[in-house]
Amino acid sequence: MAEKGKFLVVKIRKSTWFVWVLRVIWVLWLLFWAEFTLGSWKELEKRAFIISLVIFLWSLVMGLFLWLWGYLKHKKA
Amino acid sequence: MNRRDFFKFGFGGAGLAVGCGLASGADNSPSSSGRSVYGHPSWVKMIPMPKLAVDDKVYSRFNASNNIFGSFTRYYGIENRKKLMQESRERRIKYYLEKRPGYRLEDRALADAGWVISRLGGLNRGTRAWTSKSGRTPEQRGVEKYNGSPEEAAQLIKAAARYFGAATVGITMLDRRHIHSQERGKAIFFESANEPYEDEEKLVIPDKCKYAIALSVQMSLDNLQCSPTAISSAGSSMGYSRCEFLVAGLAQFIRGLGYVAIPSVNDLGSSVAIGVDAGLGELGRTNRLITPEFGPYVRLCKVLTDLPLATDKPIDFGLLEFCKVCKRCAEACPANCLSFDDQPSFQVKGEWNNPGHRAWFEDAPKCYAYWQESTSGCSICIPVCPWSKKDKTMIHEIVKASSAKIPALDMFFSVMDEAFGYGRPKDAGKWWSLNLPEYGIDTTQGKG
Repeated sequence: MAEKGKFLVVKIRKSTWFVWVLRVIWVLWLLFWAEFTLGSWKELEKRAFIISLVIFLWSLVMGLFLWLWGYLKHKKA
Repeated sequence: MNRRDFFKFGFGGAGLAVGCGLASGADNSPSSSGRSVYGHPSWVKMIPMPKLAVDDKVYSRFNASNNIFGSFTRYYGIENRKKLMQESRERRIKYYLEKRPGYRLEDRALADAGWVISRLGGLNRGTRAWTSKSGRTPEQRGVEKYNGSPEEAAQLIKAAARYFGAATVGITMLDRRHIHSQERGKAIFFESANEPYEDEEKLVIPDKCKYAIALSVQMSLDNLQCSPTAISSAGSSMGYSRCEFLVAGLAQFIRGLGYVAIPSVNDLGSSVAIGVDAGLGELGRTNRLITPEFGPYVRLCKVLTDLPLATDKPIDFGLLEFCKVCKRCAEACPANCLSFDDQPSFQVKGEWNNPGHRAWFEDAPKCYAYWQESTSGCSICIPVCPWSKKDKTMIHEIVKASSAKIPALDMFFSVMDEAFGYGRPKDAGKWWSLNLPEYGIDTTQGKG
């Protein structure tokens, strides 16, 4: 793509198949714990609610952190 | 580190993953052609005979006066009983003055009010009368009595039972050994009579009453989780009253079709034994029926009839294997009256048990004494059971299905259930501010 002599470079980074599998597993894992958390809330099971909420939030934060870490690593490279 | 801790911290994640994976592959084929609408979940197997064996040489009809309500004084001793009752009265007043949640006037009044319909019936009395003049028979309507096929009749009965408040319903050929030999000071006989009747000496069931309809009524788990308080007693009393309404309504419906119907709750015979035969559930460590849908938080009742009905089969959902390793109810029992044995046996604990069948027999006098001690009865063994769940999250169904298929996971499930806080007693004081559904139960549970 050229415009007035300048070039815009679009880099497409292709993830490997197992990264996609891990992402799908992560999303399913999050959905499972989100459903468990909501269900425990409805059941008035306080302890089950807290444990499942902590696991859900921990999984979410860790997943996002790993994604960000990978993104920054690639950007540097 | 004991066995429970080992499972809790060691194999937690791995076991959960295996459980989830295997549950997704649960058998979805219909369990039984006759139970497609009012059937159990797909992971429940139909079996030809109940899993716990009966010794035909020993098992016979039980004299109901030997049960704990009829003979507590004999088992516990008259002086001990007097002392127990006196202490119970004093404790009742003390709790009341302390305004202890679950033991206040409003809590007691609720539990007492729960019995109001139940008190209208008894063995061949009131709402449980064996005959009735109030309904219209086909003869009075000038038509022939109902003559559908047994399958059609079974479908009608199941629909009507659900309509009158049954959580689950099953039908079996009546095993007469499940019927009490004596009750209320009278012998119970089977005779070739046209109608059931009672005279000065006996109660008579017509020979032609060959079918037993086993019914379960859901109790409020929110109430039972407050055990042992008057709030949990209200869960039981309400369950009994709903049983009363159910059997009275269903019996009248059957009479309206032109057949004999004998309604019964805890009277007349063992609802648990009939429930096991009819496939409502399996016998658990508490020596009570545990259902796949509601665990033990059900009350049982039954109707005997001569209306020809298609019958159901006993079921196997892995409960026997689960109870062998779980033992949560026995650990939680404050009276220490439940068995810790690994295997069920033929060895009864006393005259209050009916011998001749394998079970984990309970020490009933200890249990009933604790009812007096607590001043409000007890049902702790019900909410602590890992099968007692409200099923608002899919994990419970996954665990139940996995347990039914892979007994090796039972210990892990029991431990994780405890770790997640299930079965812990709830604050009875907060019960009054819960936004409960009708009757305190979710009527959609276990209905697919």
